[in-house]
Amino acid sequence: MNFRHKHIFLLPGLLVLIGILIFPILFTVRLSLSSWDSFYPGLDFIGLENYIRLFTDDLRFWESFLRLGFLSLTTVFLQYVIGFSLALMVWRDIAFKRFFRVLFLIPMMSTPVIMTVIWKTVFHESLGPVNDFLSLFELTPLWLSNDFLAKITVIIVEVWQWTPFMFLLLLAGLLSLPEEAFLAASIDGAGPIRKFIYVTFPLMAPISIGAIIIRLIEASKIMDTVYVLTSGGPGTSTETSSFYIFIKGLREFQMGYSAALSFTYLVIMIISLTIIAKVLVRVLMKQD
Amino acid sequence: MHKIYLSLKYGFICVWSMFVVAPFLWALSTSFKDFQSVTSGATYIPWLQFEPTLEGWRVLWESPANGGVDIAEPYLNSIIVTCLASIISIILGTLSAYALSRFTFKAGFIRNNDITFFFISQRIMPPVVLSIPFFIMLGFLGLLDSMVGLIMVYIVLLMPIAVWIMVDFFNKVPREIDETALIDGCNPYQAFFKVVLPNSIPGMIVAGMFCLIFGWTDFFFAFILTFTEVQLLPVRIVALNSSITPWWSLSAAALISVAPLIVVAFIVERFLSKGNLSGALK
Amino acid sequence: MDLVAKGLTLEIEGENHLDDISFGMRKGELYTLLGRTLAGKTTLLKTIAGLITPDSGRLLFEDCDLGGVPVWERNIAMVYQQFINYPHLNVFENVAFPLRQRKVDPAAINRRVMTALSSVGLDGFEGRKIQALSGGQQQRVALARSLAKEAGILLLDEPLVNLDYKLREQLREEFRNIFSSTVASDSILIYSSTDPLEAMQLGGEVIVLDEARVLQQGPGHEIFENPANTRVAEISNDPAMNLMNGTIGDGSIQLGADMALPLPPHFKGLTPGDYIFGLRASDVILADKGISFTVELSEISGSETYLHVAGGAHKFVGLLDMVRNFKAAETVSLSLDVKKIYAFDMAGDLVSSPFGGGR
Repeated sequence: MNFRHKHIFLLPGLLVLIGILIFPILFTVRLSLSSWDSFYPGLDFIGLENYIRLFTDDLRFWESFLRLGFLSLTTVFLQYVIGFSLALMVWRDIAFKRFFRVLFLIPMMSTPVIMTVIWKTVFHESLGPVNDFLSLFELTPLWLSNDFLAKITVIIVEVWQWTPFMFLLLLAGLLSLPEEAFLAASIDGAGPIRKFIYVTFPLMAPISIGAIIIRLIEASKIMDTVYVLTSGGPGTSTETSSFYIFIKGLREFQMGYSAALSFTYLVIMIISLTIIAKVLVRVLMKQD
Repeated sequence: MHKIYLSLKYGFICVWSMFVVAPFLWALSTSFKDFQSVTSGATYIPWLQFEPTLEGWRVLWESPANGGVDIAEPYLNSIIVTCLASIISIILGTLSAYALSRFTFKAGFIRNNDITFFFISQRIMPPVVLSIPFFIMLGFLGLLDSMVGLIMVYIVLLMPIAVWIMVDFFNKVPREIDETALIDGCNPYQAFFKVVLPNSIPGMIVAGMFCLIFGWTDFFFAFILTFTEVQLLPVRIVALNSSITPWWSLSAAALISVAPLIVVAFIVERFLSKGNLSGALK
Repeated sequence: MDLVAKGLTLEIEGENHLDDISFGMRKGELYTLLGRTLAGKTTLLKTIAGLITPDSGRLLFEDCDLGGVPVWERNIAMVYQQFINYPHLNVFENVAFPLRQRKVDPAAINRRVMTALSSVGLDGFEGRKIQALSGGQQQRVALARSLAKEAGILLLDEPLVNLDYKLREQLREEFRNIFSSTVASDSILIYSSTDPLEAMQLGGEVIVLDEARVLQQGPGHEIFENPANTRVAEISNDPAMNLMNGTIGDGSIQLGADMALPLPPHFKGLTPGDYIFGLRASDVILADKGISFTVELSEISGSETYLHVAGGAHKFVGLLDMVRNFKAAETVSLSLDVKKIYAFDMAGDLVSSPFGGGR
């Protein structure tokens, strides 16, 4: 259907979005072509110098991508596996089904920053309950001061916080699956494991892909957790790309440079996500 | 065999449930402690291991002048900003989603799917990237440290979510219902408001839930774009995370901030069970 | 003529959805659009409704060009295949919806709604919710809504196709009654169907559509007796009419090396030459001294048997009035009733029909 009125429906939302966004986007691009920092504030024009610098002289930026990749892929993978398992378990009838469903949703409802602050106290190396418990085994891991363990801590907090989101999407998907396929499988004598591999999982493929992509998009923005828990540390072991951009921009006030970083980050993210989406479709959809 | 499977299942659920609840329990217990109890090592059970006090809780209502934290105002601010931004996002988002679902757009080589992608891709940007330009823009408009400015920014954050959910939802409402409304004498606007909209309430509620969740839990933008006049809850609480961290009031504040969304969790679950959510989320 | 179409054409991405469609319709009459799936029936109905705009051509209702008139200002009603009702309203409000839109006064609304519900057999259902109704009942509500409107043109797009067999038969009966009695006396009723039997049963004029073109328009029995060409012959019969290439010569019909039939009376006067012959499946009879064919497939349907046979270069389908299970590769002896045979020229147009049509 085509009416002249169609524009009236679309435009308010689109225009508001573009209106609020247009300045920031254009400004960021323009900013990236300048060398605005705390010493020389102002929009001069230095061409592509910032970009050249980040491609040739900034190892830290690229390292942050590696960390980002590691952290987000690990957390999303764990969230997917755990979330799917939980969804499968509360999908059909079990005792207190509704109670568990609500319970499993709760971490997502809490403010990530706030909970991360709590987690910081939980993982506190001398006064926190975790090490208190582990000290019984003569272990006092340095959760927040050890390179590798800091990453693990971030992963644990992220998994706690966001698995409910996966859980929700996957459970909603499971609930929408048609009964017939399962009945047919039962008649054919399939046990729970076979049913899962040959019926449930393939049917859930499109929803799984959607959920994974959405979570990857959100996960790559990990900011609150890192900021509160480790401030990117110790050293730079949990410094993700967005945190690095934050430091350069709002701590060191190298505005121009951080704008260039932002733009590059955006382009890389869009490309990577598109590639990942295509790969997932290939892999998961071809399974049957 | 079946028994093993069942016990594994319940075991897993119990372990995860404990994991979910653990930080809250810890916060609950800590909220009743004071300086002594905290620094002398980890303690858990009140009265047995430490003397509980209401210090952590009391302090939340005291204004900073009296050494308190006063979360009443930020709490209210958070509610107002989140609700307003969500409502506006849903209204604008639903209208746009309807257009994208029903009509064909062609501007050069840009088509419907591209426009939808544009909306949704706003989520890819980390808050960091947008915060500096927003900071400058709001400064220029004189809207820094104001509710209006913050709401504007939140709309950018939340509208994509509303559009994402509602486009999917509208795609599932048969076009024939729109057509019948037109045949029955409605112009396209009336068809939308009188027929399509009343049938979209489940979808809008789902979109609303997600907007509320993502709006209420935002930290970064509030952090960057407000200072003293307007403070949102997450910012105020994290501000406590400074030199002398008062664990007790921190924990109490954290528990209070989660409370409203537990209601949201219940509503979401009810929808899930009634099967409405599944339609909206595919 | 009250509804006139002239040369309606619509092309989408290189495919013709409407190809120079023209017809004339009168008020108070029922017309059936008969055609296979994707023939253009739904597209045509939607064009009349105004939901689709043709690339060229004109549509005139009561001498008024409908070209610039938007859907909501046209005097139409439509019933879809999928039972479409307003889910958020109860039965009464569903039927009343178009009337409220027109700001009809409440007393009249009440009367018209109750009459409409009564005529579709849904007395007492006013307060029910749509979701609580069965498929057949929902479709009746949709029908009641279109009747209550008392529209000038009533469009029905295969309305019974999603109902089960028994219900379909029952509702078809009721349709005829409803249409002949109530409001319909002043409206144009356009009913689309893929089922030739249904088209004949409804009793109105039939417009045969195929590949976006009008092939023939005329009273039902005319389409049946004298199909204008081979395509109409195929579409207006179920199973499709058997078509065979052959020649007329030496006072007989030659269908192949050893298949000849005597020349029927209505073929006298045809010049010898190549023709396409048509015979309905029901005019194929099991006989002792007939032509030998090999059975390929047989299906029993109700009290009849479909028999698919092959012989020489020809394959056809016979509909036998008996119940018998034929085995594949079995030989049967069939007689083709030449009194019922049709002749079409090599271009497909009707040359001679048992009922007197053709050139």
